[in-house]
Amino acid sequence: MSDRSCYVCVKHLGCHFCSRLWDRRERASGGFALHTRTANSIRYSLQQYPVPENKTGTYVVELLTKRILALGATQQGQFLVDCESYLSHPLMGTTKTVHILHNSEQPASVFSILESGTKNIHVIADGLFDLLMMKLSQHYTSKKQTKIESKGPRFELGDFCVKLGSVTMNQNFKGILIEVEYRPCVMANAVWGLLREFLQGLLGPTVPVQPPQHLISRMNEIYTPIDTIYQYLEHFSAYRKTTGMRTT
Amino acid sequence: MSANAAPITATDSLSQALKANIIPNQEYLLQGSVLDSAVEVLLHRLRGLCDNVDAGPETFDDQEVCFSLRDPNHHQAPPLMLRVRKALDARDMPFQLRYIGQPDLGDKNRPTVVRSSLDIACSGMLIEFLNELGCRIEFEYSVKGYMFRKGRMKITVAKVFKISQNSMPPEPISQSYLVELSVLAPQGQDAIGEDMRAFADQLRPLVQLDKIDYKRLGHMSVS
Repeated sequence: MSDRSCYVCVKHLGCHFCSRLWDRRERASGGFALHTRTANSIRYSLQQYPVPENKTGTYVVELLTKRILALGATQQGQFLVDCESYLSHPLMGTTKTVHILHNSEQPASVFSILESGTKNIHVIADGLFDLLMMKLSQHYTSKKQTKIESKGPRFELGDFCVKLGSVTMNQNFKGILIEVEYRPCVMANAVWGLLREFLQGLLGPTVPVQPPQHLISRMNEIYTPIDTIYQYLEHFSAYRKTTGMRTT
Repeated sequence: MSANAAPITATDSLSQALKANIIPNQEYLLQGSVLDSAVEVLLHRLRGLCDNVDAGPETFDDQEVCFSLRDPNHHQAPPLMLRVRKALDARDMPFQLRYIGQPDLGDKNRPTVVRSSLDIACSGMLIEFLNELGCRIEFEYSVKGYMFRKGRMKITVAKVFKISQNSMPPEPISQSYLVELSVLAPQGQDAIGEDMRAFADQLRPLVQLDKIDYKRLGHMSVS
């Protein structure tokens, strides 16, 4: 059995759904299998957590870690979400930006969002998409100094998964992003109340009443990993416009 | 490495894979054709030689769209070509995005065409994405036929059709089948070419698989 992992269940390709699609596609192309989603899609919310003036990012992450461990969570490794952006060559007309994101929850996937004026078009591809972007270097140039990532510990507490991310850009600390995932539910409308309650219990009254901007128009649609990536991109774009903060 | 160590970035992972030369980014290729009247004999021969034929040869029905992207700095340079293939008989399968480089002209004694090739499975709005990226559609076609495997080698015997604009059945572009023998492998595994040549010899005289000189084809008029 291949040791490549499916991007949705992140397991070895042993689940019935994965192995059926992998087998068929592997025969046809000899390449990676990538399927869209299963009924076990999961639900995320992404929140910024403010770092008080006289405190540091490390202090805040340690404080939140103690809180979540006190609730009975266990740490399950670390996570990493990163974003690199490419700008179109000026001779190609209207400026377009291609954002390439990776999420350690889906290690075999590359998420790509093309920003063109008012619309965003996304593509989810396998790992070799990064190599393709290198081939496009004459047309789209990476703005390496704006490469940004959110990295930190990952905790599991019953049906919830909580990630405490320290956001850094070019070694400069930018802030804290907390990601909370409620696994059993696939639709935002059915779970936003519960998620908000959980977040208030963990973070206090700073939790906004409204769901994240990206989800507001998608509350009745099936949630997929690209929805998480859009939320990260929204926050990363905001962080890119701010100056750095103290980390220690 | 401890269980709580920071995960390696995707870029670092890819760099390591490139250094270790495990990414299959090179295509070794031989092509030929066989008339409609003779294809059954070839299929019968392939059934005897190949691996994946327990329940009959595997069929496929794909549509391929070819895009080009011009270099904004050098208008005379050959454009970058990208191909998008989707399965018409399995609509829920991912698209296949393919980058194919220019054939390597290094060693004329090489038994096969060698060219750089990236096969990327994609889902999402790939066609719109490529259009917005600045790519232009060059041509499209559909291809329907059979796929065989022999170890690492893939052999396809397929008929190419024009895309029909209305509900008419698609029109074939010739009275023959295109036969392709290919292997996708990391760079530097040139011994594969010899194995491919040996296999191609087993298919003679039913079909003659050879290196195609694409420059000569480029000068032919297209109707």
